[in-house]
Amino acid sequence: MTNKEKYKQAFSALHPSGEISLEVETMMLKNKKSRFRTAMAAAAACLLLAGGSGAAYAANVGGIQRTLQLWIDGDVTNVNFEYNADGIYTLSYPKEDSVQTEHGGGVAIGEDGSERPLTEHEILEELNSPKVEYKDDGTVWVYYGEQKMEITDRFQDDVCYVKVSDGEKTLYMTVKYQNGWCTSPYKYESPDAFN
Amino acid sequence: MRQSVQELFEIYQNNLYAVAFNVCKNAEDAEDVVQDTFIQYYSLKKEFDNEQHIRAWLIRVAINKAKNMNRAFWRRNKMSLEDYMETLSFETPESGELFEAVMNLPEKYRIVVHLFYYEDYTVHEIADILKLSESNVKVRLSRGRALLKEKLQEEWENDK
Repeated sequence: MTNKEKYKQAFSALHPSGEISLEVETMMLKNKKSRFRTAMAAAAACLLLAGGSGAAYAANVGGIQRTLQLWIDGDVTNVNFEYNADGIYTLSYPKEDSVQTEHGGGVAIGEDGSERPLTEHEILEELNSPKVEYKDDGTVWVYYGEQKMEITDRFQDDVCYVKVSDGEKTLYMTVKYQNGWCTSPYKYESPDAFN
Repeated sequence: MRQSVQELFEIYQNNLYAVAFNVCKNAEDAEDVVQDTFIQYYSLKKEFDNEQHIRAWLIRVAINKAKNMNRAFWRRNKMSLEDYMETLSFETPESGELFEAVMNLPEKYRIVVHLFYYEDYTVHEIADILKLSESNVKVRLSRGRALLKEKLQEEWENDK
């Protein structure tokens, strides 16, 4: 047998369980409710982001649920924001003809490795941070406030350094291709310093 | 051109599941990736040039979604690879060993190896799907093969 034949024989053992539904209603319901947005904050040098998000500029922090205006992919969007004490948040906002609902949260990691849920304020700060998006056409984009920048051709050895500003704050971003990013208001962090 | 989701599901569900599992190493995440990939196809209303264009698009989207799963901070309670392998029916013990050896490769080699040996893509096509340079794909493929040879010895031939 060739290596290809051996490989195909080995991986032919893999099959989905059969629980995948192709019913249109089920698919679309799932589309509305799912995407888990995640954010992870390190208490030390820099923030480690495990997911993307829009940018919040709401100052009203303190209630359980409220309406905020967020930057979603470069557009100001009214969203309902709900937070619980476990560091979990839910965002829902209109998108095209449906309501997009997204969940997420994160933990702060202390220097001793201990973890605690992010506070609501910290989550809003996370939402206010830049976002990297990998589009299906292969292009890579950075969003920060109303700033929208393509960085596809700026990667060298899978790393891109880019300075972004929302008009008030300037951040230095280190982006590892398909492998997270890190921001600092002071300098470009080394790619080895995160993930 | 467009094909129905049902039609594509029948043709590609195993391929997408295999490539997603290859990245996620988790059955439930891989199933979510398969479903999400078809949701995206259904929602996007994108026109494709031909069947190969659809296949490459589905595989690229599945890989990206699987990588996103891996970046999510809250992962499911994962069944270990060893436990999951016990639920699989391999035709021969050597198949099980090859499967385990591949799954223990670093992710960046594993995906390239999978697209080459399972999906029969060329280096050029893999570079296009993964948005890498051809030389980068060649290096990853070569290193993946070397690691498989080291692990599997005579069960793995020296490919050029």
